[in-house]
Amino acid sequence: MVVVGILIFIIALSFLSRSFLTLTNFNNVTRQVSFVVITGCAVTALMISGNFDLSIGSVLALTGTISAILVTYSVPLWLSIILATLVGSGIGLLNGFMVVKLNIPSIIATLGTMYAARGLALVITGGNTIHLGLGENFTLLGRGYLGMIPITFFIMVIAVLLFYFIESKTTLGRYAYAIGGNRRSAFLSGINVGSIVVLLYLLVGSLAGFSGVLMASRLGVGQPMVGVGFEFDVIVAVILGGTSIEGGEGSVFGMVVGAFIVGFIANGLNLLGVHSFYQSIVKGLVLVGAVLLDRKIKEMIVE
Amino acid sequence: MGEIILRVRSLSKNYPGVCALRGIDLDIERGTIHCIVGENGAGKSTFIKILTGAEKRSGGDIYFQGKEFKPRSIREAMNLGISTLFQELNIVDQLTVEENLILGREPHRYGIIRKPKYSERVFQLMNDFAPDIPLKKRAGLLSFAEKQVIEIVRAIAADASLLIMDEPTAALSESETRRLFTIIKSLKREGLTVIYISHILDDIFNIGDVVTVLRDGEAVDTNSVKEISRDELVRMMIGKVTTDKYVPRMVDYKEKVLEVINLSTNKLKRISFCLYKGEILGFYGLRGSGKTEIVLSLFGLDRPGEGSIFVQGRKTYFKLPRDAISQGIFIVPEERLTEGLILKLSIRFNISISNLDSIASFGVIDAKDEIDLTKEYMRIMSIKARNVEQQVATLSGGNQQKVVISKCLHAGANILLMDEPTRGIDIGAKEEIHRIIRKLAEQGNAVVIFSSEYSEVLSLCDRIYLLRNGEIVKELKNQEAEPEEMLRVITGGRWNSHEVKLE
Repeated sequence: MVVVGILIFIIALSFLSRSFLTLTNFNNVTRQVSFVVITGCAVTALMISGNFDLSIGSVLALTGTISAILVTYSVPLWLSIILATLVGSGIGLLNGFMVVKLNIPSIIATLGTMYAARGLALVITGGNTIHLGLGENFTLLGRGYLGMIPITFFIMVIAVLLFYFIESKTTLGRYAYAIGGNRRSAFLSGINVGSIVVLLYLLVGSLAGFSGVLMASRLGVGQPMVGVGFEFDVIVAVILGGTSIEGGEGSVFGMVVGAFIVGFIANGLNLLGVHSFYQSIVKGLVLVGAVLLDRKIKEMIVE
Repeated sequence: MGEIILRVRSLSKNYPGVCALRGIDLDIERGTIHCIVGENGAGKSTFIKILTGAEKRSGGDIYFQGKEFKPRSIREAMNLGISTLFQELNIVDQLTVEENLILGREPHRYGIIRKPKYSERVFQLMNDFAPDIPLKKRAGLLSFAEKQVIEIVRAIAADASLLIMDEPTAALSESETRRLFTIIKSLKREGLTVIYISHILDDIFNIGDVVTVLRDGEAVDTNSVKEISRDELVRMMIGKVTTDKYVPRMVDYKEKVLEVINLSTNKLKRISFCLYKGEILGFYGLRGSGKTEIVLSLFGLDRPGEGSIFVQGRKTYFKLPRDAISQGIFIVPEERLTEGLILKLSIRFNISISNLDSIASFGVIDAKDEIDLTKEYMRIMSIKARNVEQQVATLSGGNQQKVVISKCLHAGANILLMDEPTRGIDIGAKEEIHRIIRKLAEQGNAVVIFSSEYSEVLSLCDRIYLLRNGEIVKELKNQEAEPEEMLRVITGGRWNSHEVKLE
C-alpha cells in the first residue's frame, strides 16, 4: 500500500522532471542510498531482535577518518580499509558488551558510544579534514564504476543478499526474530540470548565501519563531522520497511524499499527545486504517515 | 430474605472454543458477605470480569439495584457502584499514600493540584480503618496488606455499594488476614455488600454469610454458611469424577531419572523427591504454595540456596535453562503466551526453535527438514491448523499447548516439567492434552505435573506430593488419594505467608 503510493509519486516525478528517470540520476540516488542500505542490513537484523544502535553515524565518521589517516601514513589501502572496518567492529562489540553484560538499555549505551566515537574522530583529526596525500586509488571504491554501474551499487547488492540469507536461512536470523518476538520465551527455549545480541551488534559495528570507509572514499577526504543524523536515516529506512519497533518482525528487503523511498523523495524534491529545509519536513511526514497507514491497514486486516 | 442488590439470570460466556459460564443464576442480598468458591477453571474469574465490565457477556441478564446492569468498562461499573479489589493492586508505588487515595480525583484549579481536604470521606475512612499508615509515606514502602487497605478505602469512598474481592487473603499473613476481616465486618455493618471469592475454606467459614459453589461454569448450589459443613462444601466443589480417569500404569521404580534432595530457596523448604522413568508425578497445591518456584529452580532460573539435584544419578547444577535442557529437562511454563510461545511467529518456527542445531549445518537451516519435522509433530499431536506457517497467536489454547509440548520433545527432553498444563484450555482439549501426557510417559519419558486442580493430578499422576507454603506436606499414591482429603490438606490451617507471594 505504502509502496503503491510511493510508486505513484515516482511516476508523477518522472513526468514532472525530465532528468528524474535517467541512469545518471538513478546512479546518484543509489550512491546516496547505498550507505544507508549497507549499514541498514545489519541494523535491520539488530532491530528485529528488539535492540537499537544510535552510534552508527559516529562510527561512520570515525572509521572514515581512520582509513584516511592510515593512508597518509602510507599504510596500504587494502589494509587501511580492513583496519578501519575492524575499529567499527570493536565499537559494535563494546555496544554489545554494555547492553548484554552491563545490562544498559541499548538506546543509552549506544548514545554513549555515539558521543564518544564522534569525539574520538575529532580528536584524531584535530577537527580538520584529512585530504592531503590520499592518492588516486583512495576514491576508487566510492566513486568508481564497473561498466555503467557504480561499485557501491554492487557492494550494496552483496550486503543485501548476504543479510537476506542470514535473515531467512540461518540460525542467527531465526534467533534474532525469536529474541525480538519474545525474549523470555527465547531464553527459556535455551537460546544463548546474550551472545546472539552481541554478535548482532558486532555486525552492525562492522558494516557501519565499512560504510565509513566507503563514505570517505566517495568524498575523497576523511571528515570527522560526516554522518551526523545518519543513524536516524537508517532507522527511518528500517521502520519504513516494516520492521516493528518492538522487534520480532521485519525484513532486509523492506529496509531497502524504505531507504529508496526516502532517497527518491529527497532526490525528486531536489529536482523540483524544493529547498532542503522543506525536504526535512516532508521526510518527517512520510515517516509518521507511513507507519500510521501501515498500522491502520493491519487493523483492517485483523477485523 | 432481604432486598436483592444483584440479580444474575442465565449468565453465559463463551470464549473461542471454550464455554466458561453456562447460564448462572444468582441472587445477592444487600448487606451480606456472599462467598463464591470453586476450583480453578470453575468460572470464578470470568464471572468477576463480566461483573466489573472487563469482559462482555455472551448471554443472560444482570440487574443491579433493580436496574439492568451492562458496564462497558471497569470505570463504568465503578460509577454504577460496583468496585473490585483485584489480586493485582492498582497502587502507584512512586506516589504517597495520600496521593494514591485521591488518584484521578485530585482537587485542582487550572490543572494545578491543590492541597487535599482532609475532611473528605476518603481520609476519614482511612483514619477509621488504618490510622497507623502515615499519609505521607511512599506507597512502595508499604506491605501488600497495607496497599490493599488503601484500595478498599478508595473503593468505598467512591460510593461503592457492592465490593468484589478476588482472593484477598492469598498474600496475607495471619494477623493481616484478621485485620482485613475486621474491616470487612465493619463494611457489612455500614450496609455494604461484599462478594468474596476464595478457595480458602477457613476464610469462608470465618466471615461468609452465604456461599455459592461454582463448578464447570455452573452455579451448583447456594447455601447459608451456618447450615453447611466443610465436608459438604468440598464435595460440592469437586462434584463427580469425570470420565477422564486414571489408569494405573506399570512404572519401574528402579530407574530414577531425577532426584532432588533438600532443595531450599527463600520460598521453598527442604523439597526432596524422586522421579522415575515412565512416571507421571504430581505436585498439588494452591497458588503460591511453591509449585512455580520448584519449576524455576529445576530449570536453572532460580538459584537454589541449598540442596542438590541428581539427573540420571549424576549430581548437576543448572545456571541457565540451557544447562537444564542439555540434561534432557524442559518446561511447559504456566504462562503459555508470554513464556512458552513466540506469538508473532509460526508453528514451524516455534517448534524448531528449541533445537535448531539439529536441522542446521554451519548455521544454515535446512528448511525442508524443518517443515517435515513440524508436519510430523502436527500429526502426532494432532495440532489443528491450516499449515505449518500459521501464526501460533491464532491457534486455540489447546493447540498452542501442543506446540509447546512439541517444542519440548524436539529439544530432546525426557523429563518434562509441566506447570498448570491445562490452564485456560477447555474440557475437550484438556482430555486430549492428558492423553498426550500419558503417551509421553508410556514412551519412557518422565513427567512432573504442577497443578492446582485436583482432578488433573488425580487423573494423571501415579504419585502425588501435596504442597503447602513451600513445603511438601504429604506424599500419596494415586490409589490412596481422596480428593476431599487432598483439598483439606493443601488448604489446611492458615499459614504465615510473609514468604508466599502471588505468583
